[in-house]
Parts: sequence; C-alpha cells; structure tokens
Amino acid sequence: MRLRLWLELAGFAVLAVVVAAVPRFVSDFRARELAIVGMYFIALLGLSILTGHSGQISLGHGAFMAIGGYTTAVLSVNGVYGHQIRDLWTIPIAGVIAGVAGLLVGLPALRLSGLYLALITFGIAVSFPQLPKKFDHFLGGTTGKILALPRPPFGLSTTTNNWMYYLTWGIALVLLLAAWSLVRGKTGRALKAIRDSEVAAASSGVSLAKYKTLAFGISAFYAGVAGSLYAIANAYVNPDVFPIILSVYLVVGLAVGGLDSLITLIAGAGLIYFLQNHADTVARWLNHLPALNLDPKQPGIPSLVFGAVLIVVMLLLPGGAGGLLRRLFGSLTGRR
Amino acid sequence: MLAAFTWTEFAQQLAAGIREGAIYAGLALAIVIIYRSTRVINFAQGEMATFTTFIAWSLMNHGLSFWTAFPIVLAVAFAGGVAIERIVIHPVANASVVTIVIVTLGLALLLNGLTSVIWGGESRQFKGPFSTRTIDVGGVPISVQDIGIVVVSIGLVALLALFFRYTKLGLALRAAAVNPESSRLVGIRVGWMLALGWGIAAVLGAVAGMMIAPVVFLDPNMMQTILLYAFAAAVLGGLDSPVGAVVGGILLGVTITMLGRYVGFIGSTLKLPAALVLIFVLLLVRPGGLFGRVAERRV
Amino acid sequence: MCAIVAAVAVTSAGARPVATPGVSATEIHLGSSVPLSGEAAIAGNVARGIDAYFKYVNDKGGVFGRNITFTYLDDGYDPGRSVNNTIRLIQQEQVLAVFSSLGTSNNLAVRKLLNDAKVPQLYVSSGATTFGRDYKKYPWTIGYIPPYSEEGALYGRYVVKNIKRPKLAVLYQNDDYGRDLLGGLRRGLGGKAKSIVASVGYDPTSTDVQPQVTQLKASKANVLMVFAFGKFSLQAFNAVSRLGWKPQIFVNDVSSASALMAIVPQSAANGAISIVFGKDPASPLWRNDKGIKLFQTILGKYGTSITSRDLKDGYFTAGMATAFTMVDTLKKAGKNLTRQTLMNAATHLDEKGNPFVLPGIVIHTTPSSRFPLTQVRLQRWSGNAWHPFGKLISAKPG
Repeated sequence: MRLRLWLELAGFAVLAVVVAAVPRFVSDFRARELAIVGMYFIALLGLSILTGHSGQISLGHGAFMAIGGYTTAVLSVNGVYGHQIRDLWTIPIAGVIAGVAGLLVGLPALRLSGLYLALITFGIAVSFPQLPKKFDHFLGGTTGKILALPRPPFGLSTTTNNWMYYLTWGIALVLLLAAWSLVRGKTGRALKAIRDSEVAAASSGVSLAKYKTLAFGISAFYAGVAGSLYAIANAYVNPDVFPIILSVYLVVGLAVGGLDSLITLIAGAGLIYFLQNHADTVARWLNHLPALNLDPKQPGIPSLVFGAVLIVVMLLLPGGAGGLLRRLFGSLTGRR
Repeated sequence: MLAAFTWTEFAQQLAAGIREGAIYAGLALAIVIIYRSTRVINFAQGEMATFTTFIAWSLMNHGLSFWTAFPIVLAVAFAGGVAIERIVIHPVANASVVTIVIVTLGLALLLNGLTSVIWGGESRQFKGPFSTRTIDVGGVPISVQDIGIVVVSIGLVALLALFFRYTKLGLALRAAAVNPESSRLVGIRVGWMLALGWGIAAVLGAVAGMMIAPVVFLDPNMMQTILLYAFAAAVLGGLDSPVGAVVGGILLGVTITMLGRYVGFIGSTLKLPAALVLIFVLLLVRPGGLFGRVAERRV
Repeated sequence: MCAIVAAVAVTSAGARPVATPGVSATEIHLGSSVPLSGEAAIAGNVARGIDAYFKYVNDKGGVFGRNITFTYLDDGYDPGRSVNNTIRLIQQEQVLAVFSSLGTSNNLAVRKLLNDAKVPQLYVSSGATTFGRDYKKYPWTIGYIPPYSEEGALYGRYVVKNIKRPKLAVLYQNDDYGRDLLGGLRRGLGGKAKSIVASVGYDPTSTDVQPQVTQLKASKANVLMVFAFGKFSLQAFNAVSRLGWKPQIFVNDVSSASALMAIVPQSAANGAISIVFGKDPASPLWRNDKGIKLFQTILGKYGTSITSRDLKDGYFTAGMATAFTMVDTLKKAGKNLTRQTLMNAATHLDEKGNPFVLPGIVIHTTPSSRFPLTQVRLQRWSGNAWHPFGKLISAKPG
C-alpha cells in the first residue's frame, strides 16, 4: 500500500519535471498543441471523477466546457457593468459557474441511471450550442465573440504559446493533485462504492444524493476551467467552437486514457488532439500497409481514419491506457 | 414574423409532424431492438441507415426501379447489421458501457467517412416510390408522399410486431433479450439472436432512410439530426419498449413540429432543446419513459 | 500585445532572421484552413481545386521562378481548429499568407490574430460583408466573392422594378449568412420593404424546411426568396412543388449550382432567378468553353483522387478562380515579394480574363474597395439550365 503511494507521488514528480522542461525542447507551436492537450486533460480529469469513479455516464461534458468558455468570453468582452475582466481572473469564475450548472444537472440526474443518463446528457450536448444562437445579443450568436489575444502577465518576456502552456499545465497539475487526493480520500471511496453498487453503498450510510450530485458539480467545474482556457487560447467563441462532437471526444479520451485512472488520461487527451488535428499523418502511416491508398486530403478520410482507429483501440485495449498500465504494474504493487 | 393562423395550414403542419414522427418511430424502434437485445445504444444507427440508402441509390442509378432495389437493400442491410454485431460489437460485449459506446461512435464516424469517400459529399436526388402529388383530404391538400411514408413505416412496425409475437424465431429473440442464461439452457443460440437483432435494426434503419431521402435529399449527413430526435423518441417511449418507441416517435414528431411553428420563442432554433426538456421532464415523473419498466430500487 | 504576437512570429522563425517568411528564391508558401471532415466537408474541394491549379502553374515555371507550395489543413468547420491551424501555418509552416480559408466564423476567428501579426488574410471564402467592409480596422484582410448583402439588395431592386404588386415571402438560414441576404433585400426594396409579408428563419440543425415553407405559403405571397444553404434550398423547392405553390422564386447564388437545380422538381425550379459570376462546370452553357476545358484538364492531370463527378463540381472551379487571382496577385507583387508588397498587389487588382468567371468581369480592388468580385449577371432557370440575361450589373456596396 505504501509502495503504491510512493510510486504515485514519484510519478507525479516526474510528470511535473517533464512538464516544466518540455517547452525548452519543442517548437513554439508544439507548446501550443501541448497546451490544448492539457486543456483536454483537465476536462478528462473531471469526467473521470464522474464516470470512472462514480459510474455516471455523461455524454454532455462539452456543454460544461462551453459554459466555462462562454463565461470567460462574456466577462472579458462584455465585462461586468462595462468593466472588462482580465482573462486570467475569469478562469475560476468560469469553473464555478460551470460547476453550479453541473450541480443543477446532477440533481435531477439522480432519478436517471445508466444509459438514460447518457442520453439525457447527450441531449444537453446537442441542445447547448443552440442557446448562443437564440440569445445572440448577449452570447454573440453564430458571429461569436472575439476576445483579446492572451498575453503573459507582469510583462514576462515569453511567447504567447509558452504562456498558455505553462498556465494550462500549471492549473492541470494542481487540479490533478486535487483529483488524486479526492479520489484517495473519503469522497473517492464513497464514489467508488456508489459505482460498484448503489444499494450496498446506501445501506452503508453513503448519501447517494450528496455524492452523486457532488461528482457532477466537480466534474463540471473541471470542464468549465478547461473550456475557459480553450476560449482564452483561441481568443474566439461561437457555438461551433464547442460542438456536439466535443462531448463525444471527451468520452473517447476517457475510455482510451482509462476510465478511473488519472495520469494516464494524458494519453487520452493526446489521442483526441492528435486524431483531430493530425488525421492526415495517420492516413499517411496507414498507407504503408499494402493495398491501402488513402488520399489524406480527400473529404471524408479524416472521419474514416478517426473512426477506424477508435474501434481498433477499443477492441485491443478495452481498459484504455490505464488498464494497460494496471496490468503491467499490477504485479509490482501487489494489486490486480 | 409569425404568419397568421389558418386551419388549412394547421392540418398540413400536423400531417408533416406525423410523417416526421413516423421516421423517428422507425429509427427509435431500431434503437430499442438493439438496446433490448444487446443493452447497447447504437450511435451508428443513423449512419448505417444512410449507408444503406446510398446503396439503394447506386442500385437505382444503375437502372433498377425502387421496388426492385428495395428487397436487395434490405437483404444487404440485414447482412451488414449481423456482420457488425458479430465482428465489432460481440468482442466488446463484456467491456464497460463506455467502451461499447465508443465502439458504436467510432463505427458512426467510420461509416460517415466511408460514405463520403465512396459516393462524395454532395446532395443528390433520391426518387422515392411515392408521387409528389397532393390529394384533397377534407379540403386540405396533403402530400401523397407523407401518407405513403406513414403507411410504410407503420406497416413495417406491424409486421415486426407480428414476427415477434407469433413466430418461433421472434419468440427466441425476445427470450434471448430478456433472459440469456435460461435461453441458452433451452437451446437458443443467444449469440446469433443478438446478431439477428442488429440485422433487424439495420433493416429498419434502411427503410427509414429510403423513406425520408426523397424528401430531404440524400447526403452523408442526412440522418444526423433525425437520429437525435429518434434517441429522444426512444427515451420518451422507454428504451426497452418497442411500443413506446413508435408512440414516442409519432408523439415527438407532432409535438416538436407544432411547437416549432406556433411558439415563436422556440421557432426553429430551440426545437432540439425543447425535445430535450420535454423528455427530461417526463423522465422525472416516469423514470422509465412512457411505457418502459425500470426496476424499482428501494433503498 | 501586438508586440508579443509579432515576436511570436519572429522568434519561431529560428535563429537566423528570415527576410520574409514563406518566400525563398525557389518557393512561395501559402496556407489555408478548410473543412475536410464533418458537415461542410464538400466545401473542402475548393482547396483541392486551388492545389491542382498551383501545381499546373508550377509546371509552367511558377511565378518568377518560384514554385507555389500550398498547405491546407482540415478544421472540420470548427473555428477553434481554424485558429489552431492558422497559428500553425504562421508559426510552424511559416507561410507567406493565408488565403481562401473557408467559413464566416472560421475567418472571423482568425482575423484579429492575422492582422495583429501582419499576415495577409486574402480572398476569404465567405460572402460576409464585413470582410471587405471593415478594412480600416483589419487592413490585412480582403474578401473575394460578391457580398451576400449586395446580392440581397440586387434581388430587392429587381423586384421593385419588375414585379407588380409584389408580396414577398423569405426563407432564410438563421445565421449571419441568411440575415446578411435578408438585410440586403430590405435595403434593396427601399420604400417597398413592407412588401415582405412573411419571413421565416430556419436553424441549420433542422431536418427539413417543409414546415417553414408551409408557413410561408399560408401568407399568400407571390414571390419567394430562398436564402437557404445547399440541401435546405433543395428541400425548399421540393416543398414548394409538393404544396402546389407557384411564386416567383429567387435563389441565392451559393445554392444555385446547376447540379443542385437539376435535381429539384422542375415545375418549381423553372423561372427561378439567381445571380452568377462564375462558370458552372455542370452547365451546358460552358460545355465547350475554353476556360472550363482548361479547368477539367488541370483537375484531371494535377488533382488527387478525382472522380468524373468532381469535374462538374463548382467548388473545384471556385477554387481555381481564386487561385488564378492569387497567381495574378503574386505576379503583380513582383520579384520583391514580401507580405507588404503582396497586400499592396491585392488591393490594387485589375484582373481581366480570369478563365473561370464570367467573360467581361474585371476583378478590381482598391485599398478602400475590397470586394474583388463585384460584377454579376442575373440568370433564369429553364429547360434544365441557367440562362443569363441582361448585362453585367454591379454588386458593389456603397
């Protein structure tokens, strides 16, 4: 048990060191890409708490990211009583507002289970992009809202991309620690008990309502923070920036990263980013296989490649990267 | 600006709503059949329907008439559904729910991309079997096509109901869905029953696609929004209730069309969110949907 | 803030300072962000058309001995990815300019960052008026096709002049594109704006626009404006035909490709009016036209994965028209090619003889008039083809 604790702390330390060092070795644009991976990672951490640890499926977390993103946009552009708020300070506000939205969804979600919940949350993902279109005076409609480009504070002389990288990963590491301690502690045990058997959990005194709703709220907070960072990095929001498919990609990232893992979610985040933005690279790799001659620039090929990769990965690694890690290191720590 | 109210227009909107609902019903039924037999939500249902509709288009493009191509497409759809279940779904049948969801989502992406690659992305005409004339129903011009779509959809549902209730195979399918262990003991090849369920669902999807394509024009993304409404209809009716799927479909089609037309605030933009809110509210009152059963967990 | 972003562009250029990114003695590097996946994937064919044309030009010696490299990235129509792609094009690919990126919100999303980095945003593939109009704030941006608002105004002026006692019904897509057209229509109608008796918007998430058309018919209008995109326009014609309604239909240019008009019920399509400025490869009008023959030759020889269907796809032609203008601009900028000289060339165009647009059109720009294509003809559909009538008219704002 203690060995496992030390291993996890060591893993975290290694990660922190790697995160700090990486920008020195990669191009500026790559730093931006890694920053976006970091944003997906933050969202996935939250989703892991909800789906992996408390067993509630959400196919709507893109909507919580959107709430975070739009909060940041509205506060930075419209401001409060005309006073525009600096992008940095909007991040926690965005997280809180998204978190409250999560609580509001979590409450009625208590009455739903399994796939009904999945479909309702999917419905939220589908419906949410319509709201900025309806309330376009405030939320910008399809024209969207343009934010000021992100700039490092205190006149730090670093590039915009490096700044976004450090900002995002700094927040990610803090939130990772928070998630880790949550999961290890009383709350985490309660959540896992609920996931494994609601009846058993309730009969041992775990308040289903409290913990299930809490899980929704926390996971929505994480998604809101991720969405806020994403809005800042893009300096633009409109309904298409947080499309329906985003909620799908988040679940994909979770499954690939490992449902109830934390650190390996980075792999899931990386995969989501990579498949979306480098599908042509994957297509070119696949062309090495005999009889395949995919034109990476042909419309439709990116979707085809993405879908095929997803199926293959799920067939080969149903437990995701976390499951793989567990199998590899399970013997080490005496845990199966 | 909302146009003024006329009874004629009301009747026409109602007819259109019923027709929309019939399409939702067909797809919702497919979703429910798969859910009942394999406990999987098939997110690829729409793309499977679109793919098979494109096959129909190709056949008709090569000279076959609609009704000649129709049974061929159904056979291909059936085989495709069975194949997908055996090759892609069965291997992950015991994995977590999330894994299975990802697999069907991956399948949806793959089929969508494949359709684009094979046939291209532009909209094309699909000549349906019904004429585009209107006939006079009590003074209101109603489209023959709308009536035909409703008749075919309901007819298919009725045929399926008969199949499930009165044939041995249908009975075996229902048994395998409800109680796989006991079914095996009785000699039912449960694995193939599940595949059969997917085959039937694929057929339902193909019919829905071929019915709606003449109206909305055929393109790789044709079924995406329709599928969303079909999910809503399936949930509305109760995910494990075939009757619920059909009733839910028609009910949803009519309600949403009417709300979209006569409630200015909803208009076209908030139709999907309105559907969501309706379902959500209903589920709070009846957690299993209109006809579904949810095992009560008294804790 | 501008300094930081500009510093980004410079520091990522590597240790040695490059005179102008994207230009060397042998190469010009241009970039674009277009949808190759998702709902709008077919529009990605614009970029493939451009790519083919550039390869053809390279084969003939390029521009002043420089070959054009065209890097186009998939954004799936997601403006967030457009931003990512554009930043990658500037920083990693080091392009000279970004051109013909597709989508109104996609281009809006990157406009500020491109202008702050002083990278030309050329020939935006969107008809939103703002791209040509707001040059004072965004001097590095320029549009290409006639703006939607002017198109709408044109229809309005035509109605006032030619239709007695008009009662207009408008079906419009409920976003900037549809509203741009509708706003222009109102302006063109002038004092007669009240003749719009019904206007119904639809959301692009709609499954079918029959309910909207049913509603419009109930208003007893005798003119129908179809400001709808792609398949929604098709559905509108379908609905009009099914409902037995016979208004004078105007259909917006984006949805007027012959390939589309040919598959709707002809009883509804006949008599429909639209504008045109490009050559539609699916139209019998241009079957023996040198420009379209050139288009098909180039596409067949230099395109990738081209099917026989693609040879009649107007998206490819639109791409080649834009590419032609781009090459023209590069030539005009001269051997001393920098972002500034390129921008100057783009705002001083006087291009005649673009083989992919209507004969007689002059693509003309000045620093304060940034709508390259401003001449169109009206056309009427009958006998399965478009028939232009009248002279070239101006679609120039202001």
